[in-house]
Order: sequence, then structure tokens, then C-alpha cells
Amino acid sequence: MEIKINHLYHSFNQQAEPVQALEDISLDLVSGGFTAIVGPSGCGKSTLLRLLAGLLQPTSGSILIDGALPGQAAARKQISWMAQSPALLPWYTVYKNVELAREVNPQNHNGTTPKQLLEMMDLLDFADAYPHQLSGGMQQRAALARALSLAPRLWLMDEPFASLDALTREELGREVLQLWAQFKPTVVWVTHNIHEAVLLADRVVVLSRRPAEVLDDFHISLPRPRSELQSGYQTTVQKIRSSLGIVL
Amino acid sequence: MKERSKDGIHAAWILLPILLGWELIVVLAQIPVYILPAPSQVIFSLTTRLPEFTHAALITGGEALAGLILGFITGAATALGLGIWPRLERSIMTIAIFIKSTPIVAVAPLLTIWFGFGILPKIIITGLMTFFPVLVNVLSGLHAADPALLDVFHSWKASRREILWYVRIPAAAPYVFAALKVSGPLAFIGAVVAEWTGASGGLGRTMWMAYTNLNLPILFAAVSLLAGLGMLLFSGLTLLEKKMVFWMNPET
Repeated sequence: MEIKINHLYHSFNQQAEPVQALEDISLDLVSGGFTAIVGPSGCGKSTLLRLLAGLLQPTSGSILIDGALPGQAAARKQISWMAQSPALLPWYTVYKNVELAREVNPQNHNGTTPKQLLEMMDLLDFADAYPHQLSGGMQQRAALARALSLAPRLWLMDEPFASLDALTREELGREVLQLWAQFKPTVVWVTHNIHEAVLLADRVVVLSRRPAEVLDDFHISLPRPRSELQSGYQTTVQKIRSSLGIVL
Repeated sequence: MKERSKDGIHAAWILLPILLGWELIVVLAQIPVYILPAPSQVIFSLTTRLPEFTHAALITGGEALAGLILGFITGAATALGLGIWPRLERSIMTIAIFIKSTPIVAVAPLLTIWFGFGILPKIIITGLMTFFPVLVNVLSGLHAADPALLDVFHSWKASRREILWYVRIPAAAPYVFAALKVSGPLAFIGAVVAEWTGASGGLGRTMWMAYTNLNLPILFAAVSLLAGLGMLLFSGLTLLEKKMVFWMNPET
């Protein structure tokens, strides 16, 4: 799905003084692209994703997803959004949690079964366990399975690998890329891990400290499958790092 | 479970000296039985009239339970209705607070006049007493769902009914049990007070008769039976809570 973000501003009116979270963000994301968004923590990356998911209304500016507002795209069940917290229903088993996403969104699952996804996440042995019986990393994998079971059109992922160890991160990265190649969804992937961004995305957008502005925009043309050893990888990482270094 | 039986033994060790001291004081000070009966006299009258006491306890327990169920169903249904139509919340809550502010005990004689000495007025009074705590607790339970979970359902554009069914109702379960634990003892108060205003049977009736005859051993026996019933109900609810709200305070 093609996403057009036009002069987007967002501020929160929690205290007497409004907190400016996003300042004049304009981005065009091509359909089927994998865009990683990196930036210092607390800069407004999650806010941007929430706006894209239609969970928040922008203060000014606009977001168009294939020409429609995020709320409309969500109503057509074209969006799968994954929050930073696993947000699993504690009263259902892991399996039921994944299955539930499809029950609520019957018209938009992508043909993968909960069983396949749990196997992919190495959680099949815990299908009948309840979320409170899982570690933080396992909960996040279950939430990832739930998000990936939905909407081949647009994936909005908010640091989905945050509480995973490096090894699992690498493995799941490959699985995610495989699903992406299979269904060609548009992906917006928020992360603070530069390596993760370079390994997965074909475009990396660097946001500044709050209020977030677009600092840099890198197109990653490294051939896939990518690894940290391939030529050009380290220079790309360095470039993004120095771009972030300005604000750090 | 083991911890609980240990707690029971500890409670017995505390209670036993008190009962013994009580017995000793009554005997030594020669307190007349119409002022304070010794524990042994209470136990004696309880065992000699066991069938009558059992019968009375069953009536009062049944009234309390039926009233609690009535109050629970109407309270929970009202809360659910307000979950679906939030605009009605203010008007319904005004009526509910009106019911709550009316001293239900004062209405008891009226209900006895209208519905007679049977169990029906007792069930109605008990229901009225338990309705409000259930309504308030279930309502706040429905509002207490984790915002992170609601966000997930909102991102799916789930319907109000789906959110209610998958998120809000399960999230209210701990509050439901809190409501029942508050309402349970209230149910016994309701049933007993209703019986005082006129009844053909029940522990309240037994107490009233004992009171007019200054038969304190029977009065004490009835009170301790009521306390026992209350504790039974409470521990039953606790057990049920552990089974049904297993994700709160898990043992592992």
C-alpha cells in the first residue's frame, strides 16, 4: 500500500503546555517497501506508528494510505499493528491469542495458520500455555505471531524485536523477510537497532530527538540475503550511526 | 491449600484459649445464663436441637444465596447494559444510588406485609442489598481493561460487542469476585433482618424467638451458625476465584 505522509504535526495536550511529538514529517512510502524508522528513544517513533494505525488523530497534516485515511484503511482490515508491549490477552492461551486475531479479522488473514506461525516463532510447545507462564521474549514472539497472521497489506511494527536476544532476533528477521517476500506487504518497522534496520529494510528513515523531524533518509541497496560480513554493510551502518550521532 | 489448613490451625490455637477463658469466667463469676451463656451451653443447645438448627440454616442460607444470585444477575446485567449504552450511565446510576440510599432494612416490614411470611420478601431484600455493590464493581471492572489490549482491538477496528466479549468482560472478572465477596456477608444480613420482621422459619426467626424468651444459648448458637455460613460462602468464592481468575496472582 502506498503511504503519503504530508507535513504531519502531532502534539499531546497532557500538561498545561502541549508537548510537540512530531514536527513537519513528510514521507512517501512505496507499496511493498520495507521501511525502517530509527531514532533516539522517546523521539516519537511510536506516535508516528499510532497515527498510521489510526489510533491517534494528527494535530495537523495528513496521512493517506492508498488515498484513504488510516481509520478507513483500518476499517477495511488492511492494517496489522504491533505495539511495543506484547498486549496478549491473559485469559487466553497462546494459541487462542493468535487465533483470535483471525476471528476478529476474518476477511484479512494471509493463509498462515496459528500453528505454522507458532512453529515459526518456536512456540509450538507453548501453544496451550497462558501468557503469564511465558518469559518476556516469548510473549513478544507470541505477539509477533499474532501480528504476522494478519493483513498482508500493511504491517506497522513497533520495536517487535526489542526484548529478544541477538540469536532469536537474527532467526526471526529471516522469517519476517520470508513472509514479506511471500505477501509483499508494505512494512513500517520501528527500531532503535541500526543493525536490525540495515539487515531488514530497503529504506531507513532517521528521526531526530523530540520533536521528531526527518534527519536522513537512506536507501539500502545491499543485495539480499544480507549479512554483517557483506561488503558495504559496515559503511551503511556507519553512515546511519553518524547521522544519528548528530543528535546523540 | 496447605497454607490454608495451617491458617485454620493457627486460628484454632488463638480461639481455643479465648473460649476456655470465657467458660472459666462464666463458671467462676457465676454469670447467669440469660446474661452470658458459657460456650459449653451454646454447644449443648446446638447439638440437642441440631435438626431444627439445620433446617433454619438451610432456609436462611437458601434465602441469602437466592437473593445474592438475584442481586448479582440484575447488577451485572445492568452494568453490561451500561457497557453497551454508556449514555444511560448517569440516569441509571441516579436510580441505583436512590435504591442504595434507601435504608433497605426499613423497607423490610413493608415487603413482609406485601409478600407474606414466606421466603420471597427475604430474597427481594437480599437482592436489593447486593444489587448496588455488584453494579458498581462490575461497572468499574468493565472500565478497567488494560489500555494496551484495547489498543490492539482498536487497531483491528473490532466492534464494541467484540471488545466487550473478548476484553472487557474477562477483565471485569476480578472485580466480579470482589463484588461477590462484599455482597456475600450483606446477603446474610439482608436475609436475617428480613426474617426479624416476620418469618415462618430461618435463623433470623430462631434468633428472634430466642431473644423474646431470653434464651441466650440459642441466640449465640444461631449467631455462630450464621458466622459459619458466611465463612463457608466466602471460602467457596475464594476457591472459585482462584479457578476462574487464574491469571491474577498465579502460583508459579
